[in-house]
Amino acid sequence: MDIASGLLHGFQVALQPSNIFWCFVGCFLGTIVGILPGLGPAATVAMLLPLTFKMDPTGGIIMLAGIYYGAKYGGSTTSILLNIPGESSSVVTCIDGYAMARKGRAGAALGIAAIASFVAGTVGVVALTLIAPPVANFALSFSSPEYFSLMCLGLALVVLLSGPSLLKGLLALLVGLWLTSIGTDLFTAQARFVFGQATLLGGIDFMVVAIGVFAIAEVLASIEAGEEAKMLPVPRGIRNLLPNWEELKACRFAFVNGSVTGFLIGVLPGAGAAISSFIAYGVEKAFSKHPEKFGQGAPEGVAAPEGANNADSGGALVPLLTLGIPGGGTTAIMLSALVLWGVKPGPLLMQDSPDVFWGLVASMYIGNVVLLILNLPLVPAFAQILRLPVYILFPIILGISIVGAYGASGRMFDIALLVGFGLLGYTMVKLKYPTAPLILGFVLGDAMERALRQSLMMSQGDLTTLVQRPISAIMLGLAVLILLLPLIGRFNQARVRAIAEG
Amino acid sequence: MTRRHLLACAALLLSMTGLDPALAEFKPTRPIEFVVHGGPGSGNDVFARALITIIDQEKLSPVRIQVANKPGGGSATAAAYVASKRGDPHVIACFTNIWMLDPMVQEAATNKLLDMSLIARLVVEPALVTVRADSPVKSLADFINAAKEKPGQLKQSGGSIMSRENVVRQLLMKNTGARWSFISFPSGGERLAAILGGHVDMIIIDPSEAIEQVRAGKLRPLAQVSAKRLEGFPDVPTIKEAGFDIPDVPQMRGIVGPPAMPPDAVAYYEDLFRRVSQTPGWKKFIEDNQLEGGFVNSAETRRFLGGFEGRLRDILKEAGVKIVR
Amino acid sequence: MGRNVLRDGDVISGALLAALGVYIFMQGRAWDYYTADGPGPGFFPVWYGVAMVALSLLLVVSKITKTGERPAVDWAATGRALITWLAFALAAALMEPLGFVLSFALLTFFIVAFIFRRPLLTAGVTAVCVALGFYLVFPIALSLPLPAGFLGF
Repeated sequence: MDIASGLLHGFQVALQPSNIFWCFVGCFLGTIVGILPGLGPAATVAMLLPLTFKMDPTGGIIMLAGIYYGAKYGGSTTSILLNIPGESSSVVTCIDGYAMARKGRAGAALGIAAIASFVAGTVGVVALTLIAPPVANFALSFSSPEYFSLMCLGLALVVLLSGPSLLKGLLALLVGLWLTSIGTDLFTAQARFVFGQATLLGGIDFMVVAIGVFAIAEVLASIEAGEEAKMLPVPRGIRNLLPNWEELKACRFAFVNGSVTGFLIGVLPGAGAAISSFIAYGVEKAFSKHPEKFGQGAPEGVAAPEGANNADSGGALVPLLTLGIPGGGTTAIMLSALVLWGVKPGPLLMQDSPDVFWGLVASMYIGNVVLLILNLPLVPAFAQILRLPVYILFPIILGISIVGAYGASGRMFDIALLVGFGLLGYTMVKLKYPTAPLILGFVLGDAMERALRQSLMMSQGDLTTLVQRPISAIMLGLAVLILLLPLIGRFNQARVRAIAEG
Repeated sequence: MTRRHLLACAALLLSMTGLDPALAEFKPTRPIEFVVHGGPGSGNDVFARALITIIDQEKLSPVRIQVANKPGGGSATAAAYVASKRGDPHVIACFTNIWMLDPMVQEAATNKLLDMSLIARLVVEPALVTVRADSPVKSLADFINAAKEKPGQLKQSGGSIMSRENVVRQLLMKNTGARWSFISFPSGGERLAAILGGHVDMIIIDPSEAIEQVRAGKLRPLAQVSAKRLEGFPDVPTIKEAGFDIPDVPQMRGIVGPPAMPPDAVAYYEDLFRRVSQTPGWKKFIEDNQLEGGFVNSAETRRFLGGFEGRLRDILKEAGVKIVR
Repeated sequence: MGRNVLRDGDVISGALLAALGVYIFMQGRAWDYYTADGPGPGFFPVWYGVAMVALSLLLVVSKITKTGERPAVDWAATGRALITWLAFALAAALMEPLGFVLSFALLTFFIVAFIFRRPLLTAGVTAVCVALGFYLVFPIALSLPLPAGFLGF
């Protein structure tokens, strides 16, 4: 079945009333799941799995997928309004999203997030439809050297995320890299930095760090700044609660950036959605004409990562549906679901179960539209949350933070860690250490270390493998370039000064 | 009849019905916690939920059974939780091999599986030694020979160093004198991508992961890691049949209760899961997931694990893993 | 300059980070640095430690040698934030015995009454409403468990 007839068949399947219903249910559940910290799409899909045992596979996978990519829409809500990432891939949205909310542009930020999610999500599905097989082969060609270089490229972005003090940014990055090494080493089962605690053997949960360092720290910093008298500004009128034309125009490149970066990185089984949103944000800032606006509420700073995490879902479905390789987390559970229904996920899925494959793909077009319609009108409603007086809002933020930290694992220990990271984050803000590099280091550190060790194991200790392979060499080259940016900047400044004086 | 006669008859009748008046029969009176060492969606979690679904469908339990996810440190958190519920008859857990391995290797994992109340072994997970379909290697002997020719250059992708696939690798290497390296990847998707992309030469994976790749002609199975051939792979020899006599290393999943669980509670759960293993729903689950069923009762399981633990410890020591307990 | 330097935030944090770096380095050295299979578990920690020590010393030195005004610290404001954090930590510690709802209500009451200095009645009402709200939304409506104390919730 070629693409056109497949897609047509898919729409016939997806537009059946029962499948539209399941699509709506999935998208709705996904949005709620994304909005709430402490409840992730993986956990929700797993909990619903027994209920789907008796379902028709097509309807079932449409619903589960709806939860999966729907969560990416909702994840930005608490990120923007409360500086609490709703989902691990929404962490980067906190940076500019919450800054926009502080400036009174919360509604605009939420709207941009929804629109960017829609654009990138749809581009992701289009790419899934048209270029899935060659992209899947591209994903397979990525081996550990390429992953290492990609992670290095991501880490090099610290230069762009550090603000005025690169030194402090690097130190924050190192702390993040260290924190993520806490746990059990995969290759040798050596326990590292666990201080004898069995609870640390599995490492520290990313959400605990992110919520502590972002949300809690921000609350403490605001209390210090004495903003209790000032409420967060919420403009009146629907017009002001949605993005204006200028903001949308500023995001043109971000929509493309998010879509492409998110999709390509989503295709790689070893790279999670948080990685793609960081890299999209970094790329956006690198190519921006006014990089200094990032971190202060630049709409592109919301559009790029939000788009990336949605396109990432489309990308993650490529290896799952064309090769039977799950990207990890939610896609792995979806794989189990397919097995349970008797649909055989693997290279032959497209030809053996065209109903499931094309039905799912077609439903994602519908799903993205449904989600846009679900989320956009909610924007003015959600923005009203910020009307709450700060003395009510801040305790709520603290409460949701606890729920977010406790929800995933159910361990009191994670709440204790949250308290600790809250203090750490506040201290960093007070001493003007940028917090984003710490999160960046935490997200990428583990994968980078693993990839290097795997590469050296595969090449028997030959380091040149990293530059002999073309893709790896290119990414490493880019990483070095990015690291040299500040030096080039300073060199240019000196040159300009010399010219002016001479 | 005198009163003494009546009492004697009553006692006789009672003993004939099998009810020992001294040992009350256990019945759960509140919801049962089914502890799982992974988060929602992990292998064990799906397994536990499937069990609960079958129990619900067949109405085998008078009370609700709820999954309690206790992820962290492999099995360490879950084991610590179960150990803390000493004597509690309303807590059970799903155990796998790592419940034995973690205490051996991690200082901080202090709760040993054999200190707890073993209830049953439910399934054994077989595995397949596979290579890419376009590889020149056609049999396990081919692979071993190729490894002997280029020691340390062939690569196998797998999970952690304590995983079953590495244990099998250690056993094969010791048995044949060949040497090849083991590259750890944290997730199944990455392991599969590594072999399909040609970055490693061999992988030992679950049949449920392999079957589609084999059917699509991407992977070639060389041998089975199981005692007898699976139905889905009738033409693939077991490792022993392929000529390599290594000890059996079953990857098990079973049910365990807290230490000092009352014997009647253990008997109750043993019976419950025996009945589950006889339901058609369970048989279908086993078939769909390419598992090896085979209910093993509490005493047998304990006996087997006692010996197995010692063997695993020796194998891991030889593999260079630091044993702490 | 002498005494003030030692109280400067950058200098103190730099010194602490240097100490952390030394700790990481020492721990890293206890594990295998490089094995036949490539870098061992100690490899990266050793380098993180070295980099941390180097960069933090650089930070300290650059701060010490810099002349100029050091901004004064508004201890009243900072104190507010730190007390809030202490209350948060205490609430977290009490969550095991008292349960989420109760300890969160206490935390909210404290924050509204003492940090934001609202009337006690407002504080009480807010605390009860917010805590109840959380209880209704999370454990009840969404079956997301929250720590339960001796009262059962």
